[in-house]
Amino acid sequence: MAASISGYTFSSVCYHSANSNSDHEGFLLGDVRQEETVSISDTQISSAELLQVVEIHNHDPCAQLFSFYDYAGKLNEENLNSILKDRRKNVIGWYRFRRNTQQQMSFREQIIHKQLTQLLGVPDLVFLLFSFISTANSSTHALEYVLFRPNRRFNQRITLTIPNLGNTSQQEYKVSSVPNTSLNYTQVIKEHGAEFFDKDGVMKDIRTIFQVYSALQDKVQAVCGEVEQSERVREKIQEDVNKLKQQIALRKHKTAEEEKRLCAAQNADSHPTPEENTEPSEASPLSRITFHTPSAPERPSTSPNPPSYSDLLSQDDSLLSSSSPPTSAALLPRPQAVGSPGHPTPGPLGMGPGLGLGLGASSNPVTTPSTPYLGNGDGSSSDSLDRQAAGQEDDEDDEDEDEDSSEYENLVSEAGHPPMVSASVLAQGRPAALSPDGDARGSQTT
Amino acid sequence: MNNMSPEVALHRISPELRPMLCSVVRDGRVGLDSTNCLRVTDLKTGCTSLTPGPCCDRFKLHIPYAGETLKWDIIFNAQYPELPPDFIFGEDAEFLPEPSELPHLVQWDAGDPECLLQLVKELIQQYHHYQCQRLRESSRLLFEYDSLLEDPNYGRNMEIYAGRKNSWTGEFSARFLLKLPVDFSNIPVYLLKDTALDPGEDVALLSVSFEDAEATQVFPKLFLSPSIEHALGDSLALQIPAFPSGGCLIDYVPQVCQILNNKVQYVIQGYHKRREYIAAFLSHFGMGVVEYDAEGFTKLTLLLMWKDFCFLVHVDLPLYFPRDQPTLTFQSVYHFTNSGQLYSQVQVSYPYSPRWDGNEMAKRAKAYFKSFIPQFQEGAFANGKL
Repeated sequence: MAASISGYTFSSVCYHSANSNSDHEGFLLGDVRQEETVSISDTQISSAELLQVVEIHNHDPCAQLFSFYDYAGKLNEENLNSILKDRRKNVIGWYRFRRNTQQQMSFREQIIHKQLTQLLGVPDLVFLLFSFISTANSSTHALEYVLFRPNRRFNQRITLTIPNLGNTSQQEYKVSSVPNTSLNYTQVIKEHGAEFFDKDGVMKDIRTIFQVYSALQDKVQAVCGEVEQSERVREKIQEDVNKLKQQIALRKHKTAEEEKRLCAAQNADSHPTPEENTEPSEASPLSRITFHTPSAPERPSTSPNPPSYSDLLSQDDSLLSSSSPPTSAALLPRPQAVGSPGHPTPGPLGMGPGLGLGLGASSNPVTTPSTPYLGNGDGSSSDSLDRQAAGQEDDEDDEDEDEDSSEYENLVSEAGHPPMVSASVLAQGRPAALSPDGDARGSQTT
Repeated sequence: MNNMSPEVALHRISPELRPMLCSVVRDGRVGLDSTNCLRVTDLKTGCTSLTPGPCCDRFKLHIPYAGETLKWDIIFNAQYPELPPDFIFGEDAEFLPEPSELPHLVQWDAGDPECLLQLVKELIQQYHHYQCQRLRESSRLLFEYDSLLEDPNYGRNMEIYAGRKNSWTGEFSARFLLKLPVDFSNIPVYLLKDTALDPGEDVALLSVSFEDAEATQVFPKLFLSPSIEHALGDSLALQIPAFPSGGCLIDYVPQVCQILNNKVQYVIQGYHKRREYIAAFLSHFGMGVVEYDAEGFTKLTLLLMWKDFCFLVHVDLPLYFPRDQPTLTFQSVYHFTNSGQLYSQVQVSYPYSPRWDGNEMAKRAKAYFKSFIPQFQEGAFANGKL
């Protein structure tokens, strides 16, 4: 059994008691409820614990001693009824206050308690004993209280808790379940309640808020629908794009083969072309459409022997055919509109990944009209580099664009913008005009 | 506050309650052991601390019972002195007397100074019944109680204290305190007079402690009121037999009673015998008697002369005379010892028989004086100086 008493009831009883110049007694009003706790553990399916909770809401002090019993402790039911009136059904116990005495039920209290239990029909009637203990020199006064359950064996004592009397910074502030029985409170609420409560007794604000909530929910649902539609449209467009890419790749392949044949014919007479083509070569017909090659998950730069241009191209084709979505957005070259300063003129098709490598390291004569890769050593695109040089954009934007680049944004000239290569490759393919850290401001670093 | 004198308690109690407390502390004797008065301690007040004193209205009352001391809290209300008190029965939390058995509670009269004392006596009676009920936990002890109850000599003057010796093992123990039906009225008054305080009632109490329910560890003890103790000699002189194993109280208690009775009779007889002895000596020696103890008849001094030799004879009669022989001390009136005392010789063995009557003893004493004096005289002249 557990018991609790509301703070105001407790303080009220203490106040009455402290101000009385003799022993003092009264009745406790409240509720008794049963709490069942079901706990499930590994060892057993479930176990239910029943706890009886006594809640003391109010008290009814007696005007004087012996007001409802005689010298022998025999109860007078008439007097009892006149004291309790209609509160009789709410009685769950009674209390007594006596100064400087032991915390033990006295002879008369036990006699009275037995009769009260029978008369009020409360089998577990409780008894609350208050006592003031003062030291001999009146320097210290202690208020002691004990709640007894006398109808049990050995006059069982129950712990009485007072909600929120304690360190509320560490404990949760408990809202009391004590009903407000004050008449004044009921009157005021009746008078002014219509402003706040609707006919069902629910607060109006709550209804309004709920309506807002419902409206918001509807909107969200509608937006979801729109998003779904737009996503479907996007999906369709994406499919179209992929198809087009495939077509591009096909054409590239054909063009590359043609050029191969041409090169093979030309190689018999001319020298191999320089390593880096810093100047834009003739634009290919396809440069009108700016596309970005998708990022290559397999970098040719990891192999000890740098692959040949043809190998790179074939890799590129396979990537394009698979129409794999861009993997790491950070690795994709920076998108940029055609014609913007610093933006290299899109070169011919065939500039696959690792072009710089091919140009720089390989001894194979590669005639690439496309622009060389202007990497800055960290893997970002040359576009970003150019933009940094031109002071157009800052690093953050670059990174953002890189990271959340969609396919739309990353559609730049493949010829003009070779895709990512590894740092080691970049180091090899760096143009001489660049500073070691890839700053496009040039070699003058002041 | 412990060991509070009655006067202090009376001074601190609320004036309206003073008469009742007065009768309790001054005249309050309850139970068999009425030599011990009721004692009051731990006086407290039920009023606020700002109330001017004296306003104490609650205290602890110490009540001797069956060899124990009960400590009961008595709670009045100084603001309502006409109301009856409440009680807290200390450790006996299960003791709950029936209010209808307490007439002085039901008809509480605050104007009667004896009301509280009477109520306490009624409560003690109820407490006794409660303890007797508790004996039912041991059939052996219950048998002891029932058998004593049947005997009117003991049944009416019995206090039982039944308590658990060990709350863990539940070993049961009990103490019986019995007032022995011995008549002390014929003990010569002089024997009872030498106590400093008011001796109270002459009583002999036998306390028998059963340390276990099977009565295998039984410890009897005899308690005498101070005057009786003085009259009969202390308890060392009065040895009671040990409780026989397998025995029971209904056999043992009469045995102790008998021993005590015998002792009392002996003392009474001894007194009479002494008186007879002194009377005989008075008649035989007439003018030779210097002085004698006219109350207890324990001493006699004679001044005698033999062939112009005067000497004193001091006769000391012991308590258990005539069983024990009187001591004769001869003293010369002329000679002194080196320490300045009169020369004397003590004689403890001389012809004597306890069966002689006083007359015979006087005659024989006279004959002995005559035979011994020449020897004494020589000794006095030889060892004493004039």
